[in-house]
Amino acid sequence: MDIVDTLRWLEGSRLASWLRDSLYAFPLIESLHVIGLTMVFGMIAVLDLRLLGLASTRRPFLRLALETLKWTWGAFGLTVSTGVLMFSTSPIAYYQNVQFRFKMALLVLAGVNVLVFNRTAGRSVDRWDRDPAAPFAGRLAAAVSLLIWIGVIFLGRWVGFTKATDLTPDIDSLINLERF
Amino acid sequence: MLDFARWLAQTRISLAIQTHAWVIPTVQSVHIAAIGLVMSSVFMVDLRLFGWAGTDETLRQTTRRFAPWLWGALVVLFTTGMLMILGEPVRELMSLSFWLKMLLIGVGASLAVAFQLTLGRHDGDWEAASAHHWRARCLGTVTLLVWCSIVILGRLIAYDHVWGSWSPAANLD
Repeated sequence: MDIVDTLRWLEGSRLASWLRDSLYAFPLIESLHVIGLTMVFGMIAVLDLRLLGLASTRRPFLRLALETLKWTWGAFGLTVSTGVLMFSTSPIAYYQNVQFRFKMALLVLAGVNVLVFNRTAGRSVDRWDRDPAAPFAGRLAAAVSLLIWIGVIFLGRWVGFTKATDLTPDIDSLINLERF
Repeated sequence: MLDFARWLAQTRISLAIQTHAWVIPTVQSVHIAAIGLVMSSVFMVDLRLFGWAGTDETLRQTTRRFAPWLWGALVVLFTTGMLMILGEPVRELMSLSFWLKMLLIGVGASLAVAFQLTLGRHDGDWEAASAHHWRARCLGTVTLLVWCSIVILGRLIAYDHVWGSWSPAANLD
């Protein structure tokens, strides 16, 4: 069974059909997805800005990480589950969407970035934990992280424009056509 | 309102935004990133309010730490919001979700201001009471719920049909 077959099966599932047919389900799920992703980005930004020495510099990095990461993961869980639900409504269309693929690739890169951080600056964290900013490797990972997540946001929005789910008619274009 | 929105749609700046397809998605992305900063700033202060994080500093210090980011992000949200209204005036202004969102933003911003002012005046009392006082916890929870509702309403602008006949957009054609 190849991947398109699996996607087709997913598309035909009862859950996916119900999501597609319901007037309220998709908008609500997408809204929860936005809450999740904004929390993920915001909480990651707290840590990244700390590493860069731009915010919360008087607080030890490890303590800040300990306090925020469990919530970040929780928000990520919400984002992924709502994402999977939305994906199931048109799996093949999303799978073939270039922006969607790039978005998934960036998510993988975000994970790789964390691994790199752990093996570089993360190794010596006890030494720079109370410094206002992290050493170069830490600052680089933080900057890369912010860029990746901004990219994820941008691509996510772009998916929304290239995989049309906006059910409200484009009123402004209708108005403009009237003038011709 | 519809006439005003239609008039807006014909202004130079609106047409400029409409004709360059990349503007709205880019402005929306910046808007979303700024939402992230608001959400985490409110959340981090709430965590301190509940006594679940940052207890090595006072509530006032935590609020002071995140206030610049919160207010800075709100300025960005206002600016990007204006650009989106200018770019798609009828879509925004004829949407019930949009107006409900504006109402809640007023509530949210007022809560934030009231909170910071109260903190400035009664810091000592708040420190002793904040972690356990039900009123403080209520305030923290309500604040977060308000901002979450704002996010939801923002997304529902694209799906204003969920309001059925209450949506002005439904009565346009």
